[in-house]
Amino acid sequence: MIEGLYQQMKQSVLDGDYELAETLAKKALELGIDPLEAINNGYMPGVNEVGQLFSCGEMFLPELVQAGEAMKIAIAIFEPEMARRGSQRESLGKVVLGTVEGDIHEIGKTLVGTMLTANGFEVFDLGVDVSVSRLIEKALEVNADLIGASALLTTTMIKQKSLVDELKAEGLDKRFKVMVGGAPVTQEWAQRIGAHGYSEDAIGAVAVAKRLVGKAG
Amino acid sequence: MKLTAEILSRDEQQRIHDHSLRVLWEAGVQFHSLKALKLLAEAGATVDWETKIARIPEKLVIQTLETAPKSFVLGARNSSYDYPMPSPHTRYTMDGTSAFATDFETGERRYGTLKDLERGVRVFMAADMGVMCWPPCCASDAPDGSRPLHEFLTMLRFCSKHGNHELHHPNQVPYFVAALKAICGDDDAVRQRKIASVVYCPVAPLMHDAEMCDAYLDLGAYDVPILILPMPATGTTGPASLFSNIVQGNAEALSSIVLYQLARPGRPLIYGSASGSLDFASGGFLTGVPEMVLQTAAMAVMGRFYGLPNTATGCVSDAKATGIQAVIEKVITTLPAVLVSADLVSGIGEIETSQNLILEQVLIDNEIAHFCERLHQGVDTSPQKDLIEDIIHVGPGGNFLKARSTRVMARSDEFYIPQLAVRQSYENWLALGSPDMRDRAREKVREILNSPLVDPLPEVVSREIDEILREADKELSAEE
Ligand code: B1M
Repeated sequence: MIEGLYQQMKQSVLDGDYELAETLAKKALELGIDPLEAINNGYMPGVNEVGQLFSCGEMFLPELVQAGEAMKIAIAIFEPEMARRGSQRESLGKVVLGTVEGDIHEIGKTLVGTMLTANGFEVFDLGVDVSVSRLIEKALEVNADLIGASALLTTTMIKQKSLVDELKAEGLDKRFKVMVGGAPVTQEWAQRIGAHGYSEDAIGAVAVAKRLVGKAG
Repeated sequence: MKLTAEILSRDEQQRIHDHSLRVLWEAGVQFHSLKALKLLAEAGATVDWETKIARIPEKLVIQTLETAPKSFVLGARNSSYDYPMPSPHTRYTMDGTSAFATDFETGERRYGTLKDLERGVRVFMAADMGVMCWPPCCASDAPDGSRPLHEFLTMLRFCSKHGNHELHHPNQVPYFVAALKAICGDDDAVRQRKIASVVYCPVAPLMHDAEMCDAYLDLGAYDVPILILPMPATGTTGPASLFSNIVQGNAEALSSIVLYQLARPGRPLIYGSASGSLDFASGGFLTGVPEMVLQTAAMAVMGRFYGLPNTATGCVSDAKATGIQAVIEKVITTLPAVLVSADLVSGIGEIETSQNLILEQVLIDNEIAHFCERLHQGVDTSPQKDLIEDIIHVGPGGNFLKARSTRVMARSDEFYIPQLAVRQSYENWLALGSPDMRDRAREKVREILNSPLVDPLPEVVSREIDEILREADKELSAEE
């Protein structure tokens, strides 16, 4: 019976069926199922599968985003009960993410955030036009593992360098890893500015992030 | 008659307009510029100062569409390149501001420099279908705070056709205006000649950023034309159907028209679009696809619906290398824009979703432009082309080579004589080393780069521009 419920949860994620994901979460609560069990055995396998299918080109972006959304809705239902039990979801690491100051290109950064979330990272997406100081403040506030900075303009790539430099100046470069990306950004640029990681696309960003937080493989 | 395409019926155009009005009023548009919000509020838009969203009523749209000029001349430093809009034929802009350039000598793909930009615009000078230049690549070697000025002025220095580019911040405006005055003579000449324009992208969905918007408001005093270029992508920054993404792009364009006409009624604007199609498998922004050009060609028609000069993105490609994919994508994204008679197609010379400038591609795309133009001209049945008397005169079994009309037609616009296509016989072609179009384009590029500069700026003006840039470097880089 529980197995059947978990299967339905997974399916609700695969189908991006928000209503069903919510109904099933409520049902699990009524049945007294531990929310963490439901997330890890029901919803997460769905998200993982969608992530994998997306990576090999078999699922599409809206399907990926809606799978993540369905899980988020379920988690929101579980939150009060999780707080009551004092239980917390395991995550691969915390990532503070943003498009750098002066740059409002949103989509690439959001995609990276979606893929990281789908693969088990906890992502704090600060949006676009985000200053170096806001990225660092947030990283300190949430005790992040990784700061991700996206830049789409050749004039704003320099802010990725400012981020690395500022972390060094504040003695935080050992504490927070930096990953950079965006259409004009290259491996060579990442190396030149001393960023810890670079990825050309959102799928690669997951592998890089895992490596940076020591969770590769 | 001409070969044309119909992409939106009159009724469909009206529906797009009506839907756009709903979007402007019911969803509203976010303006991050305080100046812009004040203008809109004073003119009767409903402004929420906290969210910075202005709801724009129909009457403002109608009023500002009335003041927007229906025709003007896009001036050029060399007036023989002046381009009156609307135009009876389609001409081209350079594609703009790639991050990378392919080194002409080594073939290496690397960050673009001022030298690449200079070479790109010199090749564009030789592309006879090109009327509006755009810095083809960004100059990674120019100082950050003044980089757009270096790009803009290097273009105007090496290209005497009309120049279009962007400014990022109001603090760049005085230097730009000083340079225009140095070139044109005085304020009035700057206003009248219109040798340069700026490109403005509303931020999809339905937003306007602050600094670029303020800079362009300041340029209003000089009547600098604005090319309005919304670029929502189906499924990410816009809705996932072509029809509705056109509605949103049109609403974004209208909101720009409302703002800039309220600020300065009568300022010349070009209605354009660079809407994208989403690669659902990767999230990528696709340009070299039918779904892109169907949108931009339809929007060119919307530009006409409003009676405005227009441009459509076309002749673009997402291919990572020159070759089959690039050419297929460029042809299919050019033809529809030409068949709906867009005034300008933007633009030539790049691949990789406008991220890689390739000098040979400028000339190859120019050739595509010619082929498409010839298609658009269609079958001319005017008396000059009616050669029935020759058929009767030659009769069965003769040939037409001795006919006077054959000699005349061979050198008329009836037959396009290609600049690059390879048409030798097989043996001859082998003997020449089996050249393809790209080899011929390379030869021409080399020739152009080895030739003296066309229309160089007078020495004193050139020095004045050097001085303006030095000053800008000092002041603007210090502000960074
Ligand atoms: C943290 O770790 C990581 C790791 C990987 C990371 C990462 C972070 N971030 C990204 N990645 C990587 O993973 C992602 C997914 O696989 C990828 O992300 P991307 O973002 O590359 O890919 C996205 C999924 C899809 N790609 C995109 O969405 C960008 C596509 C293009 C066409 C583009 C768009 C759509 C837009 N634009 Co802009 N725009 C262009 C772009 C052309 C291009 N070839 O990139 C580019 C980047 N834009 C440009 C320009 C000039 C401008 N744009 C501007 C505005 C806009 C729009 C607002 C209209 C719109 C964005 C809408 C939005 N809400 O996001 C202006 C600047 C505004 C500003 N201050 O930022 C304006 C200045 C234009 C103007 N005159 O108004 C050019 C940059 C020139 C340069 N070299 O500096 C440009 C290359 C187009 C061109 N050739 O002119 C990877 O790069």
